[in-house]
Amino acid sequence: MRSHEPGPRPPNPAGATSLVPFSRLDPPGQNIVQFRGATVRYGRVTALRDITLDIRCGSSTAILGRNGAGKSTLLRAVLGWQPLTSGDIRIGDAHPQHARPRLAYVPQRHAIDWDFPITVRGVVEQGRYPSLRLFQRMGRADSERVDCALEELGISGLAHRHIRMLSGGQQQRTFLARALAQGGDIFLLDEPFAGLDLFAVEELSHILGNWESQGRTVVAAVHDPAIARRCFTRGVLLDTGLVADGPIADVLSAANIDRAYRSEHCVHEGRPRPAEAAEARR
Amino acid sequence: MSLHDLLLAPFSYEFMRRGLLSALLLSVSGGLLGCVLVLRRMALMGDALSHSLLPGVAAAWLLFGTSTVALFLGGLIAGLLTALGSALLSRLTRIKEDAAFGSLFIVFFGAGVALISRLPTRLNLADFLFGNILGVGAGDLWLSAAVSGVTAALFAVFHRSILLETFDPVFYRATGGRGGLVHMGFLTLTVLNLVAAMQAMGIVLALGLFLLPAVSAYLWCDRFVPMLLLSIALAMLGSAVGILLSFHLGLASGAAIVLCLGLVFVASALFSPRYGAVRSLLRGGGRLPGT
Repeated sequence: MRSHEPGPRPPNPAGATSLVPFSRLDPPGQNIVQFRGATVRYGRVTALRDITLDIRCGSSTAILGRNGAGKSTLLRAVLGWQPLTSGDIRIGDAHPQHARPRLAYVPQRHAIDWDFPITVRGVVEQGRYPSLRLFQRMGRADSERVDCALEELGISGLAHRHIRMLSGGQQQRTFLARALAQGGDIFLLDEPFAGLDLFAVEELSHILGNWESQGRTVVAAVHDPAIARRCFTRGVLLDTGLVADGPIADVLSAANIDRAYRSEHCVHEGRPRPAEAAEARR
Repeated sequence: MSLHDLLLAPFSYEFMRRGLLSALLLSVSGGLLGCVLVLRRMALMGDALSHSLLPGVAAAWLLFGTSTVALFLGGLIAGLLTALGSALLSRLTRIKEDAAFGSLFIVFFGAGVALISRLPTRLNLADFLFGNILGVGAGDLWLSAAVSGVTAALFAVFHRSILLETFDPVFYRATGGRGGLVHMGFLTLTVLNLVAAMQAMGIVLALGLFLLPAVSAYLWCDRFVPMLLLSIALAMLGSAVGILLSFHLGLASGAAIVLCLGLVFVASALFSPRYGAVRSLLRGGGRLPGT
């Protein structure tokens, strides 16, 4: 297993059981993330309006909507660093800031500086940093977790490569491995399919499907409804407010898509809001 | 001229020993800071920051004379005012951060030059700007040692936070890190080091000691820690050779150090086997930006 070539076949030799241990799993089907009237305003611009919705444990949910519909804001609110103007979000029964060990975040690929002097393994090790105390070094248990995460995503053979020397799909898998190494059970992905070629989309969809069948919860902002329909079981359609949520096929009905994507007030279409852009930088 | 005359004899002078030691100490902290400046794309901001120290230093000189502590605090206050001021301006007005920084630093620099031109003493503006190794006193040496020690210690303790906040600030925040704190701490450290390097290098040239070894190391290394170590080594080598050159050829010490480091930088940019310009051209064309 250890030295297999990272070739063009679906990774995850482990099948339906995960190599990487993860913690505190709620019973499947229970509501693991709960929004109650969650609202976010940047000055006078409303980014997220009165969202009430539940995300089930062990489901894979696509967050959909046009640019500026609040997808990223919703992810950041779940991560606990986007303060809500009003309303409430709970992870299990905890405030997001107290649920950090359960949450694993995967950034957009274009947000990463691929020239940064770091190897694949270096990135995956970052997943262990949050659980290390200030003067604590990476221990054996940490290294083993990193090994497992690399193996589960089929990139053990690339561990010592610089991150630029990877294909788009391998780069994406590196960050998925970092998320795995964190040991959480809720995965938040920001536009994971953006910029991937057809094969890499297939591969990522396979990995996310595996995670779901292992009882992990996957929540991803997705731009493309067609990809969402193929790769996720549930959907949440946003237009700053909630347009629809439920099984992906129902959410992406023609009427809902029309409502969410042909909205009259797409003032910020195609261009991030200044407040959001500034927020994303810092 | 024998090897002894070339390499060792200059250090029979106390001011040369002090200058060298001060430069070597600052090579450690400057090499570390420079790497982070480069990776955070703050190289030009560092340059602006260094210019903005001038009024603080000049005012301290005016009020308290040659006191090292006063110069240090004056520079620190001016630098932090610029950093905070531009952060506030970019947040509260339409101005973006680069324009805010660029505008504030030039105002500060102008104020500094104005202050110095009114000074009643025979103080030389050029010494402030470009450094004078003869002026490195025992106090400056202690200052360099303290600043270098604090910087190295903070890097040792917080290297994971620094790496993470620089590489992926969103992830760092998502895991409970305080990104703003790391950023401000980093700016403060940069100002501290610039002030400490002022006497030997001058505030305009001091950034060269930080930046040039780091950019050179960036062209050679694919890992963070080796990049830090190479950057420190290059900074030390450059300052030692530069100081010798300045002695033998009668050059300004800051300029001599910057030129030596500049040579390493140009050579790296051209001939680095993986990331150099020559290799890019030989392979036909440059790299696609942003891929």
